[in-house]
Amino acid sequence: MIEPAAGPRCRCGDLALGFLAVTVLSGVALAPLYRPEAALESVEAIEAGLPWAWLLRAVHGFAALGFLLATVAHLVDAVRAGGRERLPAGPWWRSTLLLPLAVLAMLGGFVLRGDAESLAALAVWRGVLETIPLLGAPLATLLLGPPGAGFGAVTAHHAGTFSLLLWLIAADHGRRMWPTGRSWAVALLSSAAIAGVVPLPLGPAEPTGVGLLGPWYLLGLQGMLLDLPPATAWLVPVFLAGGVGALAHVQGRARTATLAALGALLAAWVGWTVRLLLAGAG
Amino acid sequence: MTVRRLVLPLLLAAACAGLVVAAVRESRRAAEVGEGPERAGGRVERCLVCHDDPDESPGGAHAADALGCEACHLGNRLAYDKRRAHAGLEREPGALDTVDRTCGRSGCHVREVERVTRSLMATGRGLIAVDRWVFGEAPGPDGTETFRELLAVARPSPAQDHLRRLCAGCHLGTRGENRDDAVSGVGSGCASCHAARRAPGTAGRHEPIDARVPDERCRGGHSRSGRVSLSYAGLVELRPGDPAATTRLYDGRPAAAAEPDVHGEQGMSCVDCHTIPDVMGDGRSYAHEEAQAEATCEGCHPPAAAADGAPWGAAGDALVRDLLRLRGEARGPLEPARWTRRGVPLWNVRPAHAFAGGDGEAAEAPWALAGKLDGRLHPLRPTPADADHGLRGHERLACVSCHAAWAPSCATCHTRFDAAGRQWDFGRGAEVSGAWVEESERFGWGPPALAVLGDRIVPAMPGMILTVDAAGTGRAALERRLFAALDPHATRRESRSCASCHAEPVALGLGSGTLDLGPGGPRFEPAEPAAGEAGVAADGWVALFPSRPGEGTRAGLRSLDAAEQRRVVRVGTCVPCHGESSDAIYGDFGGAVGALFAGGSACTFRAPEWVRGTAER
Repeated sequence: MIEPAAGPRCRCGDLALGFLAVTVLSGVALAPLYRPEAALESVEAIEAGLPWAWLLRAVHGFAALGFLLATVAHLVDAVRAGGRERLPAGPWWRSTLLLPLAVLAMLGGFVLRGDAESLAALAVWRGVLETIPLLGAPLATLLLGPPGAGFGAVTAHHAGTFSLLLWLIAADHGRRMWPTGRSWAVALLSSAAIAGVVPLPLGPAEPTGVGLLGPWYLLGLQGMLLDLPPATAWLVPVFLAGGVGALAHVQGRARTATLAALGALLAAWVGWTVRLLLAGAG
Repeated sequence: MTVRRLVLPLLLAAACAGLVVAAVRESRRAAEVGEGPERAGGRVERCLVCHDDPDESPGGAHAADALGCEACHLGNRLAYDKRRAHAGLEREPGALDTVDRTCGRSGCHVREVERVTRSLMATGRGLIAVDRWVFGEAPGPDGTETFRELLAVARPSPAQDHLRRLCAGCHLGTRGENRDDAVSGVGSGCASCHAARRAPGTAGRHEPIDARVPDERCRGGHSRSGRVSLSYAGLVELRPGDPAATTRLYDGRPAAAAEPDVHGEQGMSCVDCHTIPDVMGDGRSYAHEEAQAEATCEGCHPPAAAADGAPWGAAGDALVRDLLRLRGEARGPLEPARWTRRGVPLWNVRPAHAFAGGDGEAAEAPWALAGKLDGRLHPLRPTPADADHGLRGHERLACVSCHAAWAPSCATCHTRFDAAGRQWDFGRGAEVSGAWVEESERFGWGPPALAVLGDRIVPAMPGMILTVDAAGTGRAALERRLFAALDPHATRRESRSCASCHAEPVALGLGSGTLDLGPGGPRFEPAEPAAGEAGVAADGWVALFPSRPGEGTRAGLRSLDAAEQRRVVRVGTCVPCHGESSDAIYGDFGGAVGALFAGGSACTFRAPEWVRGTAER
């Protein structure tokens, strides 16, 4: 059990669970409207063909974004407060999976749009996975389905595997299955407020000749792929997650060095993001 | 603590505000969704929700209720709102830069697009190569540079610049908004030929799309340079102010009437002779038009004694077979067929009895041609095995050498670069400084010269008697005296007279003037001598009996050389009396001349001595 007096100063962890709950519930509401075999067609219908469905999608998307940001904020807060004292190594390592799982779940949601950007992202995702030695090809098939098989596997993992794992790990981490009422309210109200005003993007149906961009949180990786080998796209996240996990075991200078290495990787990520945005999509 | 208490009320207020904005957006969304059909041809095609006016459909095989809009116009057929539906919209379906996703998309016209994009109307290879050679930028008139490459050059050479400004507008790849009035079409690429022109008062209606291409769509590109579209219709372009002008062309250029091509006179259209490979290519990239075109006179008018060629069973061209299938026609494998020179069957040419309506005049000939546009039958008579067509010495003559009654000519041309002017650059799609100005002294028409192309005698016209003053570009001036081989498409059933070739200077490539075949030997007096070229007429190719033949716009094209000219004019001395090809002297002309000089002939003509001394062939 986390001791409140010694815990992180913000309540981002609880808020993250609130956003996760809103994301999952809005996703459950969206599921009947989504058809993997006609992905873009059903998303277009959600966006403009069905009453209020676009708002539901926007709440889903912005709640997911809120979960990602709250998780990152919680992680930063925990690291700043000295994570070694907060959690034992086992739970800490499990918790480090939250961030990559959140990114995978959100990438799955991005891919499920079925537009030109999502199709490109799916192809890149598959290509990156296939560069993993030995496991690459079967892992790609497991996560994404066989090439050309559509969005069935991605849908299953987005709505099932990743969501379930996220909730389980988040519940294990926070020692609670449900968010507090306040977190519920904050997550729902803030998601609804943004969703009503800011349209959730949907890419072009077909490539337009202009370079296609992936999700904003992976632009750094997309930029790296223009200059570095495809394996970079899984090596960098593995190093990042491993570095964060390693913080459970290191102290003093080693901890500082690990944090510096993580900072350097993040800086490179941001740098490539900026470069990609300035140069136009590859 | 106070701030924390305010968070929830503030968020609640923000959410309420957000929901108000959402309600406005939702009401707009509901209002923007159209009420038309959502499907076309069995698939979701939400464009029709708004574009359901029958005037917005091209009809026919491309009707909107069968294909929808997106198949040709791209965009997003699944979208509900206009902004998303029109994202990536193609306003010129068929434009070559997107044709792989429009006409050439899988399941539609993939093969045709592969052909067209490599065809000369798209690449312009010959045009570019000849121009660059004339400008002194290439060693010969053959090249591989295409318009696509030429228009992308960042720093064009003078010839490239000349082509980009004056020639690229008719190229199939140049989009409508980046094109002058030369091609009065509604689109580019496939649509240049297959989309109809808008008739007056039909603005807003979708142009019909049709596989059948009427002649008016050919004239945009082919009413210039060789002007075959005009000649076919019996029209000659003239310079503004020319008193001979009696009419105006479709685009306002002054013109005179001349004898039309016999095929045009009979109501045949361009596509009746010109096959798919002729026009759209066969997938190979050819250097020049005469290499790509497959139609021959002999395809329809073979020698009377010739056996029928291979039957339909030998036809391998999938496009032709598909075309027949789409038209609901079939050919038995043993049905006799007529072929292009590369073995593509002429599907509209059949034995007269095979046509359901094969009666009347068509039935009088063993074969008939059905008009591709109107289905009208035209009898096809074989080339007779008579004296005209079996004349010794005429074996190398192409049919049009005799049957081309006339050809248009642009006798002299001065091309200069005006650095102070401004002109549209099709490469940049904008008006840029400098202008290429072409000034011709006269346009006219008359019998063509005879030229040698490979092993054939063909008609030729003064295509490039020109000076290129590229001083504005920093290059020295160039002078060229080139003739161009041309089937002028002014074919007549009656041929040129014997004298037209054997006693007239034009046929010999001498141009306008007086040819004297008197006792002193042949002499030519130009009507208007070319400056600085002794014995050469201003509109001529070479002097009489040149030391070397004149150059043409193709490798292997030349004027008649001195020996050939001598042989031609030698006959010319006899033509005034022996004007029929069936005359006995032409059975063995050399022998007849020998007998004349030996006194063994009944002929009373005192032939000039120079006739005796010419080498026989």
